[in-house]
Amino acid sequence: MRGSRPLALLLLALAVVFAVLTIFYFTVKTNFLASGRPAMHWKHAVVFLVLTLLAVIAANFARPKPVKA
Amino acid sequence: MLGAGLILFLAALQGVTELFPVSSLGHAVVVPRLIGLNFNESSPAFVPVLALLHLGTAAALLFLYRRDWVRIIRGFFTAAVRGRIEGPDQRLAMLLVVGTVPAGVIGFLLQDPLKSLFGDPRAASAFLIVNGGILFAAEIFRRRDERRRAVGGAPVLAHEEDDPAYQGIDGLSLRTAVIVGIFQAGALIPGISRSGITMAAGLVAGLRHEEAARFAFLLATPIILAAGLLEVPDLGSDAPTLGVGIAAAALSGVVAYASARFLLRYLRLGRLDPFAYYCAALGAAGLVFIH
Repeated sequence: MRGSRPLALLLLALAVVFAVLTIFYFTVKTNFLASGRPAMHWKHAVVFLVLTLLAVIAANFARPKPVKA
Repeated sequence: MLGAGLILFLAALQGVTELFPVSSLGHAVVVPRLIGLNFNESSPAFVPVLALLHLGTAAALLFLYRRDWVRIIRGFFTAAVRGRIEGPDQRLAMLLVVGTVPAGVIGFLLQDPLKSLFGDPRAASAFLIVNGGILFAAEIFRRRDERRRAVGGAPVLAHEEDDPAYQGIDGLSLRTAVIVGIFQAGALIPGISRSGITMAAGLVAGLRHEEAARFAFLLATPIILAAGLLEVPDLGSDAPTLGVGIAAAALSGVVAYASARFLLRYLRLGRLDPFAYYCAALGAAGLVFIH
């Protein structure tokens, strides 16, 4: 598969958004994207942490790579 | 709080039904009511107790495919670092990742709304019938494909694994794995089987029966494990004692292991039709006898 720099950058941007949401859910009592009263939603934080890592891995797949000789 | 006897009964039921394509959650909701065990399925402890049993099932699956998982984890990390797929282990790892992410995200987002359905045995009964229909439809699709190939002159082979028309997991594309993963999210509905819906999707994608089951089991492992680990802390004051919890998870795991071995052996020659008929019958019984 040929790499795509714009796609890699898009995935990195997505990773940054997920990372911000991870920190948000680990530190703020909220009911944003969650049911019930405002509370610490550590499960949301774990899920967004996993999504952050997966977005970084996907960006690594998408970036153009030097062709092997 | 659920009693120890009931939890152990649910553990055995979960072990048998989690990996068979018959919906463990549907059984946990419908069967106790059908046989007259009265308990509150809406209890806050019910879903977390099921999650505890999931840990036992996940352990059974990890043990069953322990060599595969070592290769998959190694393949995942090497592929993630290099940013390219260079071997079958890396490919299998990435198939499982792209198949797991949609189900995981959809499951996480829709879990709470669907929890309200968990306590309704009649809804679960209806969805068991739907599950039977899905299994049956997958087999109809496969039979039609076999007939079409036979008319076209392809040899009729007694063993599916000898037939080059049907492939192993290695032949799946990443796109198909994503689609199968999205289908897996259907298992959030009580009565719809995770393994059943992924096996059906695998059959439609051209996998051999045994390979469809293997892919379903591998795909289910991270989700079942994550569901268990994320839900168990919610047990809170409704938690069973440590001994009962460990015994229940162990019982669920042992029964699940035996069930998976049986199913893999059965599917070398067998089809999903008996499970389809069983689901339809249980669902119909639930609709008739549960009020």
